[in-house]
Amino acid sequence: MIGRLRKILSNFFQGAEDDISIGIYGPPNAGKSTLSNQISMDLTGEEMSNVSEVPHETRAVEKKEKVAIESEDGRSIDINLLDMPGITTNVDFKDFKEHGMEEDDAKGRAKEATKGIVEAVKYLDDVDACLVIFDSTEDPYTQVNVTIIGNLEAKDIPILVLANKTDLEDADPDRVRDAFPQHPVLEISAKEGENIDKLYEEIIERLS
Amino acid sequence: MAEEGSTGVTIEFLSKTKLQDKSFDEKVETVIGKVKDNAVLVLEEGWSPEEERHLIENAMEEIDEDFPGIEFLGLTERNSRIHKAKRMFYEKVMNEKYREGITIVGNSRVMERVKKERDAVSFLAKLEEEEE
Repeated sequence: MIGRLRKILSNFFQGAEDDISIGIYGPPNAGKSTLSNQISMDLTGEEMSNVSEVPHETRAVEKKEKVAIESEDGRSIDINLLDMPGITTNVDFKDFKEHGMEEDDAKGRAKEATKGIVEAVKYLDDVDACLVIFDSTEDPYTQVNVTIIGNLEAKDIPILVLANKTDLEDADPDRVRDAFPQHPVLEISAKEGENIDKLYEEIIERLS
Repeated sequence: MAEEGSTGVTIEFLSKTKLQDKSFDEKVETVIGKVKDNAVLVLEEGWSPEEERHLIENAMEEIDEDFPGIEFLGLTERNSRIHKAKRMFYEKVMNEKYREGITIVGNSRVMERVKKERDAVSFLAKLEEEEE
């Protein structure tokens, strides 16, 4: 913990290429890329990821460097934002065919998705902090989610859990709170931009 | 894994005695090999988050047209104070991995409706239907 804090402080004062890296983790279709785009558009005027209803649209880690976040009281930090491929334990090309893809395209997408998942898992060693995002309409207490959070906890990486898709009628953010009571949970709608300002405040509060 | 002509799912239980002499890499290799043959394995030991992560990585590297990956479930208490104290005792004093719990791993085409709770897990074991 002290080592990580020292690195964060060191990065903070050195600036340049050692900005704080924040990874956005979560299962497929939780809204990682929608959130990445919301933040990136808001703070840099540019999108950073493609968004799709078909799972595994993000099949490689997407990076946006030197994103400056400012709080209302004037504090600011520069971060490197990392949109991670959704982590899962299985990728079946047949699932993509059900979304209307041709067999060869589906197989290619599955191959790329598995590589992306391995890349995202390896990045667990390199991020300084994480936003772990869940779809509030789904059960968040799955083995993969428990494993991701467990790895971050083992490395003392600061975590902010996001209960996303609160704009949907059957959203139940309390289920996310109940699943991971050891971590702070912020309710957001990445699609509608709800509570994104509060997210910036939370990031600055925890990392600066 | 199931015998020729049979339609069931083999569920294989591996005791901690059988597992204790294997390195973690050997365990993962054994598990993935059996799971690819449609077995569901029940291991009499809990795995750490780091080990579970290596299982995911290894499973991803094995995925192809015939093997879509795995489902796995760990039944291990991680966040209670007692668990943390036990884990620290095993690792700092006894210099060995704390392995209380069980781990279940299966082919994702066999394990369906996987449900995890803090103190219980369940799944439906199903054989893939033959394609015509």
